[in-house]
Amino acid sequence: MVIIELIDVKKFYPLGNVQVEAVRGVRISIKKGDFISIAGPSGSGKTTILNMIGCIDTPSAGTVRINGSSTSDLSDKELTTLRHRTIGFIFQLFNLIPVLNVYENIEFPLLLGKEKMDKKEKKEWIDSLIEEVGLKEWRNHRPNELSGGQRQRVAIARALATKPQIVLADEPTANLDSETGTAIIRLMKKINQEQRTTFVFSTHDPDIVEIADHIIRLHDGLVVSEDIVLEERSG
Amino acid sequence: MNNVRIAFRNLNRQKKRSFLLGGAIAFGIMIIIILNAFTAGFIVNVRENFSLYLAGHIFLTGMEETESGRVINVIRDDTVLKDTLKRLGIKVKYLVKRSIFTGTLIFEGEYVLQKIDGINLKKEEGLKDRLILKEGSFNALASDPEALIISENVVNQLQAVLGDTILVKLTTATGQQNVGEFELAAISIDPGVMGFSAGYANLEYVNELLNIGQDKCTLLSIFLKDFESIDSEADRFYSALSQKVNMFDRTSDKEGFESLRGVSMQGEWKGMKYQLLTINDLLSRADQLAGIVNIIGLVVLLILLSIVMVGITNTFRMIIYERIREIGTMRALGMQRNGVRGIFLYEALFLSLGGAAMGFIIALIIMVCASIINFGMGPLFFMLKNGHLFFKIIPAQVILHFALVAVLTLTAVFFPARKAARLDPAHALRTHY
Repeated sequence: MVIIELIDVKKFYPLGNVQVEAVRGVRISIKKGDFISIAGPSGSGKTTILNMIGCIDTPSAGTVRINGSSTSDLSDKELTTLRHRTIGFIFQLFNLIPVLNVYENIEFPLLLGKEKMDKKEKKEWIDSLIEEVGLKEWRNHRPNELSGGQRQRVAIARALATKPQIVLADEPTANLDSETGTAIIRLMKKINQEQRTTFVFSTHDPDIVEIADHIIRLHDGLVVSEDIVLEERSG
Repeated sequence: MNNVRIAFRNLNRQKKRSFLLGGAIAFGIMIIIILNAFTAGFIVNVRENFSLYLAGHIFLTGMEETESGRVINVIRDDTVLKDTLKRLGIKVKYLVKRSIFTGTLIFEGEYVLQKIDGINLKKEEGLKDRLILKEGSFNALASDPEALIISENVVNQLQAVLGDTILVKLTTATGQQNVGEFELAAISIDPGVMGFSAGYANLEYVNELLNIGQDKCTLLSIFLKDFESIDSEADRFYSALSQKVNMFDRTSDKEGFESLRGVSMQGEWKGMKYQLLTINDLLSRADQLAGIVNIIGLVVLLILLSIVMVGITNTFRMIIYERIREIGTMRALGMQRNGVRGIFLYEALFLSLGGAAMGFIIALIIMVCASIINFGMGPLFFMLKNGHLFFKIIPAQVILHFALVAVLTLTAVFFPARKAARLDPAHALRTHY
């Protein structure tokens, strides 16, 4: 089942008087439960594509469909609700709320929607996420008291807090050493396999790319190749 | 709840900046609270001191039209007045008679126009607490029927000393010229406030000089037990009296303390007609003065706060730039625009209330310290409470100022907060501070 679809998507940015084409007509289809990597060098359009999938940016042309529905006609409020219900985010620089501790950062998305989770149920769910990412002892620590790897684990737990169908990770390992980076990707893969959550992450690290089941390679805003490793492996 | 928590912690993470912004608000609030408490205390002190000087809160003067058509300032029979007071159940601490005239004091070629109050000192114990004597004693007024207490300014003008005999030239109630003799028994410190400077003599002797009869008076002073009920009790008293005796309109123009001598009475009537005044009527000028000071204070506060608000607006613009990626993250995670705006508005609210509370506490400390200082019995005595500054905090005023500060701060932060809420999440996430 296709969960994300980009049809002839283009994105232009104004740079002074010139329009810069960040994405130049991309077609991508991502199935539910995919563990997909968008690879490519800097400036190839990885982040722009992730932003458009994540409904935090809109295409200049073309269509982005999430669960079969186009995002083009949605208002800011509807896009925000869609993001909250369907998509989790993991950022390159972790982007944790500095004034909240580990537990509160993970709890944060749960407090944003209209649907309220039972207090006890919520606590158990957050504690299980903290345990899943191996930060039980750091539960009450603030982001500035954590290492980069730990921060990214918090970000993963936060991304999963609302049980989203899709998790988008923009260069999640870029600010981590290779060992920690690999561990983070493996953790994401474990969750992907256990929970059937669709993971889309961007990276320019070839070692990390190889862990993905589905690899889309970009260059200058265009898809240059698409490999479905899992099917090849299983095939 | 989450927004409140984040807002509170955001303020906490930039302690120095929050402290400085809150401190600026605190300074403005501190000034206005001290100013208002001082003016409110000033009114209370002046009212209380004048009440004791004049031996009452409610005053009745009587104007009698004689057969010859002449109007005499006198209260001959106070039975109706006292009965009405009793019937209404007005709680009176004491009721005293005074006879007042303005005459010329003459001593060895020097002369001064002076208001003299004829009093019964035994019934006016409160006066002793307020009338500060520089020389002499109150005992002389009790023992010597012709004893006179006047202020040091008048004594200096007359170049008299204690024990000197001072002549007085006056017009009697019936309009004849009269001359009497006083013996200078005591010299008081001139309060010198609002033109109030009275001399005091024995009531019986003043009645004799005015030729109005021994048990008569020109002024009946009623000292109430409850200081706060002056106006309401005066209104009740006036209504009841109006049904029994001729009364002058209460809304007639007041001429300050001159009204106590009934000089402003106009129109025609037969027999007795009374005028009712209250200490609040007499001190309306002080109220006006306090009102003006309060308005000036409020204007100063608004100017101060306007400057502070410009600072707050700029600071919050900077804060939004600093936290731009945080805003982008929160929006990406599903926070609606009003949520982002809410965080900044909560911060503004906490900042304003925290600053105002801090200003209030500092003002309290300053007022407590200032009220410990004894300024003695100098010319400022009238404005003081037994020589000390007295501050009266009016809770409604404090609440109003807190609300004003909160509204101004929220307004100052509203536009940067709106800008933050309208940020494009992708742009916010791309921006690095």
